[in-house]
Amino acid sequence: MDAAVAFITSFPLVLVVSLLFEGIDRKIHARMQKRIGPPIIQPFYDLIKLFNKERIIPVTASTRVFEIMPMIAAAASILGASILLSNTLSGLGMIGDLILVMYLLAMSSIALMVGGLASGNPYAAIGFSRKMSMMIAYEIPMFIAIISVAFGPPAVLTIDRVIKFQISTRLPLAVSSLSMASAAATLLLCIPAAASVVPFDIPEAKTEIIYGFLIEYGGPYLALAKIAKAVSNFTLTLLVSVVFLYIPSLLGEEALINLGISLSICLAVSLLIMFATITVPRTIFARLKIGQAFKFYWMLPLALSILSIILSVIGL
Amino acid sequence: MTAERDVEREVEVEYTRLRIPFGPIHPALKEPVLLRVSVRGEEVVDVDMALGHVHRGIELLAEGRNLIQTLYLIERICGICSHSHTTCFIQALEEIGGITPSKRALYLRTLIFEMERIHSHLLLLGVIAYEIGFDTLFMFTWHVREKILDLFEKITGNRIHHAMNTIGGVRWDLTPRMVEEIDAYMREVEKSVKYIHNVFMDGTVEKRVCGLGVLSYDDAVKLCVVGPTARGSGVDIDVRRDHPYAAYDELKRDFSVVVERGCDVYARTEVRILEIFESINIIRAILDRLPDGPIRPKENVFRLMRGIPEGEAISLVEAPRGELLYFVKTDGSGGLKRLKVRTPTFSNLIGLKPMLIGCEIADVPVIVASIDPCLSCTNRLIVIDQERGESNVIDVDSLRHRVRRRWMRQ
Amino acid sequence: MVICMFRLSCKSMMFRVISKGRVKSPWIFHLNTGSCNGCDIEIVAAFAPRYDLERFGCLLVGSPRHADVLLVTGPVTRQMLPRLIRVYEQIPEPKVVVAVGTCASSGSPFLGSEMVEGPVDRIIPVDVYVIGCPPRPEAIVKGVVTAVKSKFR
Repeated sequence: MDAAVAFITSFPLVLVVSLLFEGIDRKIHARMQKRIGPPIIQPFYDLIKLFNKERIIPVTASTRVFEIMPMIAAAASILGASILLSNTLSGLGMIGDLILVMYLLAMSSIALMVGGLASGNPYAAIGFSRKMSMMIAYEIPMFIAIISVAFGPPAVLTIDRVIKFQISTRLPLAVSSLSMASAAATLLLCIPAAASVVPFDIPEAKTEIIYGFLIEYGGPYLALAKIAKAVSNFTLTLLVSVVFLYIPSLLGEEALINLGISLSICLAVSLLIMFATITVPRTIFARLKIGQAFKFYWMLPLALSILSIILSVIGL
Repeated sequence: MTAERDVEREVEVEYTRLRIPFGPIHPALKEPVLLRVSVRGEEVVDVDMALGHVHRGIELLAEGRNLIQTLYLIERICGICSHSHTTCFIQALEEIGGITPSKRALYLRTLIFEMERIHSHLLLLGVIAYEIGFDTLFMFTWHVREKILDLFEKITGNRIHHAMNTIGGVRWDLTPRMVEEIDAYMREVEKSVKYIHNVFMDGTVEKRVCGLGVLSYDDAVKLCVVGPTARGSGVDIDVRRDHPYAAYDELKRDFSVVVERGCDVYARTEVRILEIFESINIIRAILDRLPDGPIRPKENVFRLMRGIPEGEAISLVEAPRGELLYFVKTDGSGGLKRLKVRTPTFSNLIGLKPMLIGCEIADVPVIVASIDPCLSCTNRLIVIDQERGESNVIDVDSLRHRVRRRWMRQ
Repeated sequence: MVICMFRLSCKSMMFRVISKGRVKSPWIFHLNTGSCNGCDIEIVAAFAPRYDLERFGCLLVGSPRHADVLLVTGPVTRQMLPRLIRVYEQIPEPKVVVAVGTCASSGSPFLGSEMVEGPVDRIIPVDVYVIGCPPRPEAIVKGVVTAVKSKFR
């Protein structure tokens, strides 16, 4: 498939798949709590409703920033996801590497934070400061883990080269070497915080600060924020499944020929990852406090990521 | 001074018992109380409370109604401990009127009382779980609670306001089949509560509730906190044992008073969990030894009501949240001269300040939940007019006139 | 003519899709205006596993900005009156108000109190009344679903 076509088709695909993922997550969550749960297409209903609600901008808000930030957030996360997905879809070299995807993800959450802060609500201010400290906690291990890919066996950061490297070795990257395994583990540990779900949903704790920076957003703005969150959650899981656990690589060269099959395998793997890193923790844990979360991230994931970079430099 | 002001940000945290949303909320269980929390960074430096959002003037309304109407009115003071309120009120009336309920009636009152304690404690455990973001545990506790509500429905016909008490006895009787059912349900509930106890000892929950909201023994005694809040701080008080009422005198050997010395949120939670087991023991003892006999006097309840002479009495019960006190003064013709209610939450709220200062914002909801505030009980103590932004106290007599006028108008 | 018909059908289809979305995802904000807690715990019980309001797409939200349905319990007390109006105004259109419980619907046992500002419909428009003291969770579920279906369709 042509790279440009793949890139354009991946926009709607990203939206649909990530919203479906959210629906599946909610359904499983409900089933684990002995409830029936909403239908799987519930997020679509929510979005349709939210887009057709009244726009309210609080008087305390600085209007422009408040309005534009959810759009930037949604655009950034969709762009990040599409870059990732179109690389899997086309099998050809596409512009953009892992660092760009990470940057877009971070930008999406920063945009939401700034927009919330512009609303002038004190809860949003608390949410902002909490999210800021959480980002310091989880972004550093995540970036180190991603960079260790460049130092490790693939020695590249472009997504399609990483995929091709996995195909050439006929092994998923996480299995191929010790350093990559610990990098993958770091990323998996960071996903709950990046997706801000319990136990790390500190910035938008419902019972403490009522969704933090999302508190004043309603109607279409909230819909955009929801899209941004759903898509960035999906991007995170897809990132791990494409870069570290590219199961189709076991098929060898055929993975590049039967792109449909390899894509669906990738999506299935990322669904599994979402189940393990988002649904399960949010069902079985209580929310941590900011200090405890910080301590956790600067102990285990940071150590793991540094280990991975050291191992990859010495070539293990 | 001004420099210090700059550092401190004033944040109004409108705590709503959930949240839910209680929401929760919270979201979930929402009761309005305004906590003005001053924070520095994430640390709480000062707390102020504004009450009265649920003030409905029940004590005054009661003075314009007869005793039976009042009985149903005070049941609506609180939906969670409605049976405690009516029991306390009825006890005072019976003391004034010299009416002695039958043994069976007293035992049935105690049965509902203990079931209500289980239901209230389970509700609170769910709320605590919800406040710390543990939705699954919240769902599970509320699922268990539904079983108790089913029993209530089977015995009294209602899930929340049981309307069980009447002057001189109770309104509904148990059939032998119900006794078996209660026994079976209690076994299930005991099993589930054991599981909940295990989950509360789990690592993540422990991280959020241990060593938080410390109320030392001395503070607890000095501030006169009551109920599980006091017992969590090592104060050994329980009305059921100290001033037995209803059938507790005969059930003394079937339960022990749970006292924990942890002084923190965890200790208060633990007291409540263990009290559920004690309540189950009491219920089993009641079912074993339920005496036969009538459940209420044969006379019409209105005749009984009119027979109550002028007099006054103080009555005490141990509600799920602590000691509940009623002062009742009748006028001799089936009405009330004065009704005064002192609810447990009113005593306990004062204890919140030493608990909250020095904690993080994240801990505020769970600490407030840990004293199990029942604000709809508490908010009947203020007589303040807030029109035109001023608060000036109206004297009781003029208020009474106004109430009468309005009552006539409607 | 044909184009006009096509446009019309497009419009009606859009309308149907939108109303479907609205009916399928009513987010609930619950306000206690001096209730005895009975209704409040029944509302939460409606979200608990046995009744599970979430299967209709309902969510209990903490901010009125996110809400579509306002559940009001309690006879509006004097202190809660301005807050009730403020919360009602903060909910973006379209919205429905459900008065839960006899207190909210008629003021019942507290009628005549100086501190009670009468039932909810004296202050804000109410779409559905759920009677009961307290209403059973099934009744609350029915009330919410009826309100949403009658107003958003």
